[in-house]
Amino acid sequence: MLTFEGLDENFKFIVLEVENQARSTRRFLDEPTRKQHAKITNRDDYIDNLKTIIENKCYSRIHLDKSLDTNQINRIRAIQVMCVNLEKIADYFVNIVKQMRYLDDQSFIKKYDYDDMFDTILDRLGSILDAFRNENMSKALYICKAEPLLDAAYKVHFDRIMNEIGLGRDAQSLITALFIFRYFERVGDALLNIGEAIIFSMLGERIKIEQFEALQQTLSKSGFSDSFADIDFRAIWGTRSGCRIGKVEKRDGEELSPEERKQGSIYKEGSLEKIRKERESINRWRRTFPGLVAEIYGFHEDNGKGAMLVEFLNGCTLDELILSGDDEYVRNALFIFESTVLETWTTTLEKLPVRTNYIGQLMARLDGVLQTHPEFRRMPKHLGDAEVLSSEDLLRRCAELERGLEAPFSVFIHGDFNINNVVYNHEAQQVHYIDLYRSRDFDYIQDASVFLVSNFRMPLFDQQHRERINNVISQFHGFVKGFARQHGDATFQARMAFALARSFYTSTRFELNFGFAKEMYNRSLFLLEKIHQFDDGDWERFALPEDILYY
Amino acid sequence: MAEEKFIFDSLQDCRTIKDFLASLTDGFDKGSITLSTDEDAIELCPMGLLNFTVKAKKKGNANKLSIKVEWKDSGSGRKCESTGLTVE
Repeated sequence: MLTFEGLDENFKFIVLEVENQARSTRRFLDEPTRKQHAKITNRDDYIDNLKTIIENKCYSRIHLDKSLDTNQINRIRAIQVMCVNLEKIADYFVNIVKQMRYLDDQSFIKKYDYDDMFDTILDRLGSILDAFRNENMSKALYICKAEPLLDAAYKVHFDRIMNEIGLGRDAQSLITALFIFRYFERVGDALLNIGEAIIFSMLGERIKIEQFEALQQTLSKSGFSDSFADIDFRAIWGTRSGCRIGKVEKRDGEELSPEERKQGSIYKEGSLEKIRKERESINRWRRTFPGLVAEIYGFHEDNGKGAMLVEFLNGCTLDELILSGDDEYVRNALFIFESTVLETWTTTLEKLPVRTNYIGQLMARLDGVLQTHPEFRRMPKHLGDAEVLSSEDLLRRCAELERGLEAPFSVFIHGDFNINNVVYNHEAQQVHYIDLYRSRDFDYIQDASVFLVSNFRMPLFDQQHRERINNVISQFHGFVKGFARQHGDATFQARMAFALARSFYTSTRFELNFGFAKEMYNRSLFLLEKIHQFDDGDWERFALPEDILYY
Repeated sequence: MAEEKFIFDSLQDCRTIKDFLASLTDGFDKGSITLSTDEDAIELCPMGLLNFTVKAKKKGNANKLSIKVEWKDSGSGRKCESTGLTVE
């Protein structure tokens, strides 16, 4: 641990002082006395002074001590940010205490449960020194989490007070109580800044925890809590820097430093199993293709959940590029993308046949599909003599047929090869893979089909965009056919039919435009029917109806 | 009287559409077409004079061909006359 003479002591004191203020404020709310009031307001002056002393020491140390390295400077900067926020928290407590005099009856505040809020605050204040001194990421994130907790508690009080105001009594006390709880909410904001400062001191860069938290809460409320891995987290980080690639020019002879290249990181949290799996996958990818995937900065496990900080890779996702970039850039990106895919497939190719389970994958996601679109289950039908199988029957029979099919070799696949899981960095002329928790040794047709359908399902219907999407599909499909030919893979068209049927069907669960979802559902059933009707027995002779790929 | 309805909405290629149309035209021969889903079935008895409309539309690359046959049964709710078989 790095120590700074005097500064560490001062910092420890300000943390302890603010903790004391929190306890004193709690006591005051329980039982207000003049003595306690005076103690809290007087202590605030001491905290203000302490903050000024710490700030001065931070600035002078940074300016005068030229021997400090980046890490040490970052720690000093973190101390400065933390002490500013600690002083704010102390101010909020003083404000809470001062507000109490406006209550008609000082025990009025006891109608509301503030104990949980104090517990949250005291727990976090008590974790600051440990998190900072021992560079404990888990504790730092724990501190950050005070913010959504206090927000949620504030919302409960806010709603209740608003209701009570509506009744027309105790207006002054109710408004005062609202102000008091608002200060608790602001303590949460300051604690978040402190947690982020500790993370900054470890990583040397800022991450945005609060958007993640807000997103997580929204998702939990929407019933998505168990499927974080299916959510596109990048959406919340805003547009990637360098994404407007039309404006990015390679600077001649000027290399970006690693610090410049890293412009942030992504915080991911999810079930322990998924996060662990992603870490394993990233590590395996990095061993063979170091620049292809993000670096992991931090990982921690807590109560069955895993959290990970990964490098935020510059560039834009392929979908962003295809939809907004110039033709020339798109061609260039696809060339680099295909070269990368070819290299990964060729390097990791193992000549051992592998069983596929495309229908099994589809069945596993069927409930999700039917939850969004209950209509996407076909009952058996007859049109005169012509028989139409139910979707269930069709899937069951196709699953049986799939048992007689295998891929002639395996490659290390991405596992969730959606177009938005590929990042293109024009400046570096490189692509990166992200969201890798499903990577495994498997049939390359899995990645190929997911990539093709992720293009197809982009909900853009104007001719210009559609032409562009169709061009990408056509080019990539041509590439896959070439790879299959080159490696003597004679059943790839049949496997592609199974895999496309799977992806079309399962993609509907994320598509709320019913007409478009229906389009994909119908395509899936069409493919399943073609598979079912294929009675040749020799899958090498199966011909994929390629029109299925184009909208 | 409750409306009976049958819908089959799918994606097909020309060959399978031909098969479905052939199955329906067989029904015209027999004087009975049964359309069923699971347990619900509609039995239609095309006979006598029927309105027959064919519409075609082309706009850009979008095409539509609709074939409509409309008629009224001479009795109400009766079974098809035994000029043909009912296939279920």
